[in-house]
Amino acid sequence: MNIEQTLKDAEQFLAPWCKETFHPEVNRLDVAIQVDDLRAAVGALLAARWGYLSAVTGTDLGIEVGQLEALYHFCNGPAITSLRIHLPRESDACLPSIADIIPSASFFERELQEMLGFAFSGSKVSERLFLPDDWPEKVYPLRADFSIEQAAPVAGRRADELPEQGVVGGNTFVIPIGPQHPALKEPGHFEFTVDGEIVTAAKMRLGYAHRGIEKAAESRNWIQNLYLFERICGICSHTHAMAYSLGVEKLAQVEAPPRAQAIRELIAGLERVHSHLLWLGVAAHEAGFDTLFMYSWRDRETVMNLLEQITGNRVNYSANVLGGVKCDIGAEQAKAVKEGLTYLETRIRHYLEVVTTDAMFLNRTRGIGTISRDEAEKFGLLGPTARASGLSRDVRLEAPYGAYHHFPVSLVMETNGDLEARCVVRLKELLVSCFTMRTIVDNLPEGPLTTRMPRKIPAGETVSRIEAPRGELFYYIKSKGGENPARVHIRTPSLCNWVSVLEKAVGHQLADVPMLIAGMDPCFSCNDRVVTVNRPSTNETWSWKQLREYGIEFYKR
Amino acid sequence: MNKNNEQFWKQIIKKVRTWARLNSIWAVHFNSGSCNGCDIEILATLTPRYDVERFGIKLEGSPRHADVLIVTGPVTRQARERLIRTYEQMPEPKFVISVGSCSISGGVFEGCYNVGGSVDEVIPVDVYIPGCPPRPEAIIDGIVQLLASLKGDEPRKMARPVNVEEIPA
Ligand code: SF4
Repeated sequence: MNIEQTLKDAEQFLAPWCKETFHPEVNRLDVAIQVDDLRAAVGALLAARWGYLSAVTGTDLGIEVGQLEALYHFCNGPAITSLRIHLPRESDACLPSIADIIPSASFFERELQEMLGFAFSGSKVSERLFLPDDWPEKVYPLRADFSIEQAAPVAGRRADELPEQGVVGGNTFVIPIGPQHPALKEPGHFEFTVDGEIVTAAKMRLGYAHRGIEKAAESRNWIQNLYLFERICGICSHTHAMAYSLGVEKLAQVEAPPRAQAIRELIAGLERVHSHLLWLGVAAHEAGFDTLFMYSWRDRETVMNLLEQITGNRVNYSANVLGGVKCDIGAEQAKAVKEGLTYLETRIRHYLEVVTTDAMFLNRTRGIGTISRDEAEKFGLLGPTARASGLSRDVRLEAPYGAYHHFPVSLVMETNGDLEARCVVRLKELLVSCFTMRTIVDNLPEGPLTTRMPRKIPAGETVSRIEAPRGELFYYIKSKGGENPARVHIRTPSLCNWVSVLEKAVGHQLADVPMLIAGMDPCFSCNDRVVTVNRPSTNETWSWKQLREYGIEFYKR
Repeated sequence: MNKNNEQFWKQIIKKVRTWARLNSIWAVHFNSGSCNGCDIEILATLTPRYDVERFGIKLEGSPRHADVLIVTGPVTRQARERLIRTYEQMPEPKFVISVGSCSISGGVFEGCYNVGGSVDEVIPVDVYIPGCPPRPEAIIDGIVQLLASLKGDEPRKMARPVNVEEIPA
């Protein structure tokens, strides 16, 4: 379907509530609606199955304007429809919550609530999401008039007010894990309420890695930001820099030369290999399969070598500059890449065999944490986690950007939706990536590496979506024509995937939980939130004696 | 037992202790808000290519069993108390390695509203490893330098002594 037609459809569905429409870009439709019509409008798009809610951007339009703006971005292939709502800045007006129709929206809403001071009717949560618990009330870091002095810690409160640990309540027990814990290399705090071995409720508190990058971006210039965004996450640094560069280039109406685009795609491919092999190692480690961990990390060094040879650095490669790339692929690099890919392909095939045949590993993955296609759609899953459940979401195919027009990838999908399927999808995806990278190296377009970029970026706003190793990465960039961006909003894929893990943990054995978490490949540095999922357990209370007797009986069998 | 004898045994015990300590460093890793870059490089030092286990270094989950605390990242407001608590849970003697530019000075995150600054403003640091991220070789070099400094007899110097404040348990 072509973009125009898709957008026309959306316009038709939204017609009853539409106050005004704009076309900020060719693939975007902007519909201004009234606050009270939000639920109806969202409902209409859902009923028509027009795309999915990809992100909600909040912006403070400034003290003079006196308004806050919320943008609900729905994506359908390359077409994006945004519902635009304005609210007065200083008042009790609130947005209706849509978390009951779209579960993943609960994260987006809480982000707006905390960072910009939007209020939501019908949302129950009052706990902190990103910000420390000693952050003062009614101080919102992303508001235009925020200053660091306002954020002085509230006396008598701690930065993370964690509930009592290990409380026995009735027949359940709360197991706190983290934030410093052996399994993951990143900080997160989890609380699993268990009934025997079975998890009955899961809760998490993140924000340990929340640094406040979106705000910092507003005070740095366009070029400095490139390096800042690269350090949002060290694992997918190139993807962040690439999404940002593509967005800024769109705003400046400059296009990076074909050779640069191809090199960007090549490095993104290498990054995907490094990220997925890293993930495979961590997942194997969680399953107690350390041999696989060591092997996959050994092979990952091949990619690290290639990245280093091309860009000069192992992590945070800074290959992008605005308007192109910094590093070229010469004959020597091309040869090294091809040799590396040949080796990797054989190894990846081997791992594919291991994860689908090793009995021990299959015990930990097959049939565990199954997410059906409908659930995946409901949770708004993205990336390999969605594709393992038979939901074809891949920005590289739906809305090709950069060099993906010339060097397309093919879709990898599994339908089982369990942990095994997630392993298989990721590994098969690597084979596809390797194939594409080989094509790129063989057919690298000739030409320059950069084009000239203006120092000031013309006023405007743009959305830049790209497929990171973990799923769709969403950048919303707004310029007022100055040397700094006016607003950058980043929605990372892990954010959308968390809901599913917490939902799925309920009912599983505690021992499976680390695998479930690893299964979606979370990235804490990118996103930092808190969520609770609760399910009532049976209400009888057991004494220790009963429990002991039950245990003895259980193990007799 | 005469006095000389006692001296002698003390010496021996000290030697044995130092020998044991130098050959079995257990490290605990704490991420105080880093971008991950440093953390994956630390993990990479453990895996076959760099293999720090050949120095007897092992990554340990619990701070109570650890000799060395490896900290990455600028200290975010929320991680600060946790960092102090982890440090306090470690048994003496304990050493701290601060890995990465942003743990040394705040790096690119300098001035962000949720970032406190450097690790050494919160806990005493023995070794700094700069880089964004430092290469695994640099991390190994940092650890080796720490080991070398432990070998000497002179007392350990803190990079910048600070008072660790009381944290309610
Ligand atoms: S020093 Fe650089 S690579 Fe390391 S955690 Fe900080 S920003 Fe990331």
